[in-house]
Amino acid sequence: MSAWSLEKLLPDYIKRFEAYIPSRPDAELMKMYGCSRLYRLNNNENPLGPPRAAQEVLRRFPPPRASVYPSGDVYYLRHRLAEKFGKHPDQFLVGNGANEVISFVIKAFCEQGDNIITADKTFAVYEWVAEFSGFIAKLVPLKDNGFDEEGMLDRIDERTKIAFVCNPNNPTGTYWNRDKLRRFLDRIDGRLVVVVDEAYCEFVESEDFPDCMNLIEEYPNLVLFRTFSKMYALAGLRIGYLAGGREIVDAIRRTCIVYSVNVLAQEAAVAAVGDEDHLVRTRKLVREGKAFLKDELTRLKLPFITGEGNYLMIKIPMSDTLAYRKLMTHGIMVRTMTGFRFPNHIRITVSHLDVMEAFVEALGKTLG
Amino acid sequence: MQTHHTQEVTLSVQAELRFLPVATWFVEKSAIAFGMEEPEALSLMLATEELFAYLCRVNASGHLLMRCRSGGYYVEQEFVFHADYFNMKAFNITTVPDLDEQGGIDETGLLIASRMVDRFQLFEEDGGLRLVLTKEKAYPESAEIVIPLAMPLKEFVVKVPGPEELKFFVHLVNHHYAPQVVPLSFNFPGKVADMAACGACCAAIAVDVAGRIGGGIVWRWEGSKLVEFYGPYLFNQSRESGMAEALVDRCLSATARTKAIGLINRYPTAELPIEYFEPLGSLTSRMEDGSELAFSAYFRHLEEDLGSTVWAHSLIENFLVDQYRRLFFAREIRQVRDEGESGSPFSVLSAEFDRSAGRVTLHPIWWGKDSRETLSAYVDTLRNEGLAGIFFEMDVGTSWQCRFAPALLQTGFEPRLVIPHAGTGDIVVFQHTTGKSVP
Repeated sequence: MSAWSLEKLLPDYIKRFEAYIPSRPDAELMKMYGCSRLYRLNNNENPLGPPRAAQEVLRRFPPPRASVYPSGDVYYLRHRLAEKFGKHPDQFLVGNGANEVISFVIKAFCEQGDNIITADKTFAVYEWVAEFSGFIAKLVPLKDNGFDEEGMLDRIDERTKIAFVCNPNNPTGTYWNRDKLRRFLDRIDGRLVVVVDEAYCEFVESEDFPDCMNLIEEYPNLVLFRTFSKMYALAGLRIGYLAGGREIVDAIRRTCIVYSVNVLAQEAAVAAVGDEDHLVRTRKLVREGKAFLKDELTRLKLPFITGEGNYLMIKIPMSDTLAYRKLMTHGIMVRTMTGFRFPNHIRITVSHLDVMEAFVEALGKTLG
Repeated sequence: MQTHHTQEVTLSVQAELRFLPVATWFVEKSAIAFGMEEPEALSLMLATEELFAYLCRVNASGHLLMRCRSGGYYVEQEFVFHADYFNMKAFNITTVPDLDEQGGIDETGLLIASRMVDRFQLFEEDGGLRLVLTKEKAYPESAEIVIPLAMPLKEFVVKVPGPEELKFFVHLVNHHYAPQVVPLSFNFPGKVADMAACGACCAAIAVDVAGRIGGGIVWRWEGSKLVEFYGPYLFNQSRESGMAEALVDRCLSATARTKAIGLINRYPTAELPIEYFEPLGSLTSRMEDGSELAFSAYFRHLEEDLGSTVWAHSLIENFLVDQYRRLFFAREIRQVRDEGESGSPFSVLSAEFDRSAGRVTLHPIWWGKDSRETLSAYVDTLRNEGLAGIFFEMDVGTSWQCRFAPALLQTGFEPRLVIPHAGTGDIVVFQHTTGKSVP
């Protein structure tokens, strides 16, 4: 018998935390739910797939190169991003998906007793990374489905190190326009780091959406996140990045894990940057899909919340987790919103019209 | 929030009689240090004394690890040991020891130990056994207080009550609602306050600007993955007020990003917004006037179901298939069969009483070949005690528990509902349906 006690070794903040369990592979899910096809409308992926040039990189990749380590600091992609946005390459840090760069920033700025601030109904990873790192996540309720500027400012204290603003917000699609973001940054006045997560910015068509790439020159405490998982459809390769002023990025680089981005992801991302035709085609698909969904949901008398982004949230007259299971039997996978603190809501990724039609048909059957 | 064992003391000792005073002193002093009154600390100490002495007899010179923990409103004493023979049968409340034999005398000690505590659990782990004895602190029963006339609130906010507000809310619930829809702990307002303070239960109340309480909801963890909630309780508030939905929303928000996988309400009030939930099935309760009333149990899954594998005896497989199909849960069912292998000669059950609601729930601790006799004896004993609602909870994520299925059906139990993810796997709730058990 040993006196081994996991309880004693685990910090309290880890004991409280539950591991995230991702969904099983499609083949397993289809077997369990007895469906012959599966439309994944749960992760806001781009159904068009990666830009053509990126697909070509993947097709031509010579397998023997897999034995060689990738560029440790993602050299060529940082130079490509710098070229596109008119920045210095050292203003970019690339990670294994944007989730990894969230971790870089929190590790760089928070120490014991510090907190971060964000909204209660937004992308959960800011809150999770803070909490399993032992920091408090202050959650400010959304106001009119958007980030509440006043509420956040009211709750910031001397131990608040980072404010995370998801712009546009996942899952509501609301966004802070240029004036609002600038006003917030002015009122923060450099007291803490402001992270603007622009995971869905390439989908935005509104003209007053802020240009954070320019604002980082003006506000040294501003960091922006972007990803290649959504618009550029490289989610399976895991690659995202942050950008900011040289000083703040140099500080964050100290916590950055090098060699975490694989070679295929790096080369596909370089090829994807600036493919305007891909952006135009995707925006058209999203615009048409959303219009179709809005009409159908209005016909079904189902309230919905939508704004920017390639997703739409629907309020349903039943438990969202039950709706998930019922929809799965029709081969439709959606995102339940209870975990986002929107009970009885589901979030749908906008996709091709035939898939949207299949979803609406399955939803009708689910709601009976 | 889940209960945290913020205080724990550990003793590592040889199971030898000369260390008996060390073990009993350790438990008694730890319990008192954790805020337990002397009579309850003495009960836990006596249970330890009997158990330790028994282990010395059957497990001479073996090593024993003892952990004493405070859970706020209770103290838990854990024993980790190896034993060549450990007579768990004595932990059945139906056991009558035979004092003419040495085995019977040994059994008496364990019997005393089991009766000195409120709960016990036994686990087989890493080739050894882990026995946990739990003794709750004593609390005064809810006293009669003047309950003000409940008025509809024009406006309200939902908030976490302070200790005094919580106790007053408990009194209001006891005044306005039948005990069948009220948690057992509400008999003791001070206990509820202690439970809330240590995170063993949570509550939210709806109040107006003057501090008047219009309603509330309470929830607690049931194991590591399920949250059981009671209510929502509304005191003369209209359905149109939206108070019930606001209270359920608060409960959902508080549990949605925790370890909880499901939320259940076994005995809902009429105010429960059922569109938030899925009906699992019904359980029957006997009311004060002797009539029987079926309560629909409502469940809400908090996560997207990933599917799982469960065990089933062939006798309840069809029931499970029907339930999973109706609830749209993806489950692979594996059959448990008796293929002649040897097993323990006796079974052990624990009983959790809710006497104010006339209910008792049996939990399998150990399966043995006398399962039918054990269940039958339990049913007879519990019926004689006037308990109308006898339930049995089987965890189908744990294969051995499914072996109780034949004995359950033979002694008058029937499967009533499945609670997804409530244990290691899903839990099947059986209810005893006939007036007498089958001999």
